[in-house]
Amino acid sequence: MRHIALIAINFFREQRWPILVLMSWVFLLSVLGLVVDLRKASDDVLFIFKQGVGYGILFTIFFGASAIHNERKTRRILAVLSKSVGRGQYISGLITGIMFAAAIYSFAMGVTGTWVLGASGFPAEHLWLLMLCVMLVCLLCASLSVLFSTFLNPLFATMATGIVLGLPAVAALQFRSRWAEVVPAYSLIEPLMKASSGSNEPVRGPLLMLALGEAVFFWVCAFWIFERRDIAVAVD
Amino acid sequence: MLPLLEFEDISKEYNRFLGSRPVVALEHFSLQVETGEIFGFLGPNGAGKTTAIHLAMGFMRSTRGHGRMLGKPFGDARARSRVGFLAENVALYHRPAEQLVRFYGALNNLKGRVLKNRAREVLEAVGLDQEARRNVARFSRGMQQRVGLAQALVNDPELLILDEPTSALDPIARVKIRSLLLSIRSAGKTVFLSSHLLSEVEMVCDRVAMLNKGKLVKLGKTSELLQSGQETEIVARGITATCFPAAVETDGVVRFTVPVAQQKFALERVWELGGEVVSVNPVRRSLEQIFLEVTGQQPEKSALGVGG
Repeated sequence: MRHIALIAINFFREQRWPILVLMSWVFLLSVLGLVVDLRKASDDVLFIFKQGVGYGILFTIFFGASAIHNERKTRRILAVLSKSVGRGQYISGLITGIMFAAAIYSFAMGVTGTWVLGASGFPAEHLWLLMLCVMLVCLLCASLSVLFSTFLNPLFATMATGIVLGLPAVAALQFRSRWAEVVPAYSLIEPLMKASSGSNEPVRGPLLMLALGEAVFFWVCAFWIFERRDIAVAVD
Repeated sequence: MLPLLEFEDISKEYNRFLGSRPVVALEHFSLQVETGEIFGFLGPNGAGKTTAIHLAMGFMRSTRGHGRMLGKPFGDARARSRVGFLAENVALYHRPAEQLVRFYGALNNLKGRVLKNRAREVLEAVGLDQEARRNVARFSRGMQQRVGLAQALVNDPELLILDEPTSALDPIARVKIRSLLLSIRSAGKTVFLSSHLLSEVEMVCDRVAMLNKGKLVKLGKTSELLQSGQETEIVARGITATCFPAAVETDGVVRFTVPVAQQKFALERVWELGGEVVSVNPVRRSLEQIFLEVTGQQPEKSALGVGG
């Protein structure tokens, strides 16, 4: 566990500037909370909030898709894996690091959202339930993008993650809504995206468990592939 | 006693894009490194030295064959906790040197005060104790290499694997690292040193292996390799250089080499001519000369500075 924590903290530290940029959404939301009449502009504030959450998920994919590639390209991975660190621990450390960043961002968005959306009557309990869904989507994105990054460059890993997460949603829109539950990222984020100051869609509990199970599955696959990869070979 | 590092008939091929022929980096490579020695690992660029080291560290898998490090199969994470590794062109995270060394030490299961003290000790050993709080991003390449060496030493390793550790160092730092390696050997530890600096290897290594095109082409004790065993250099006074073929006269002293079988005859000839023998020594070759021979290059005699 200590190795995983060390790698996670190290990853977070290395990504501190993009995380800081991401946090500017929280700052923007806070400024809106101070200067806008929240009762009149509730839908606009909610739109900004949704956008902020969306960027958080996107950043999670970018972090995951480039994590291994960057470390291999700079060759810093060699010094880390020359220590008593297993490949599984390394992968787990990266995903934990990404989730650490996502958790801080989601928590900050949740706190700010409770304040600015609460003022316009948005129920706080529902908001935190939605943030839990966002966290699970982030976990799904992180494990899937890290899985693809074990054998693809960041561009293709991002595209592959987007396809795997997006195809079920497209299939659901075209055919049957249950297709979206194959990889339930869209199904979990849907209640937030459709939320308005007037109505709130319920979150389906089993989807949370399904997302967690799939994230663990992608995590194990990432470890299995990474264990078999030659990491010292030039990536360019 | 079990060898500390053992390659057993290892081959490694790199697959290229779209079915072209794979590149063979190592071919039927076998080698054993014993406890308490400084082992020199030499070869021209692309000979497969770094591939062999990366296989030992578990960064890649062999195509055929297998190996053991500290009695465990290559890639075993627990075995790596007793190993120190410095990669060629070391790349480090940008943070203060002491903090960085502590990070790597923590990854090798060191904790608390032990880790703190050890980090300071190794930074002092590589001559960076005064720079411990400076960010390594602001260090020169030589200083970064010394931090790299410090992180390799932080866990007090039984086996130290170094890939070109002195390539970016100035002469003073090189001398310091050389004496550090010798003190590590004195403590009963083992050093596996890959280097292009043949003079360095010649000075510190007990045994040497030479690799060329993925194959082991020479292996032996450094002292034995450096003795040619074929020729003797005779230095005499009171004769002229024309008495012996290829003899060179400087300040009244004549130097020439003869095959060992003709040594007795040559000495008698010196005495017959009324000369005086100053010294008789077996010709020592340099590692550079051996290296050029085994890699199929022809040394330029004038550049080698070796008699004969």
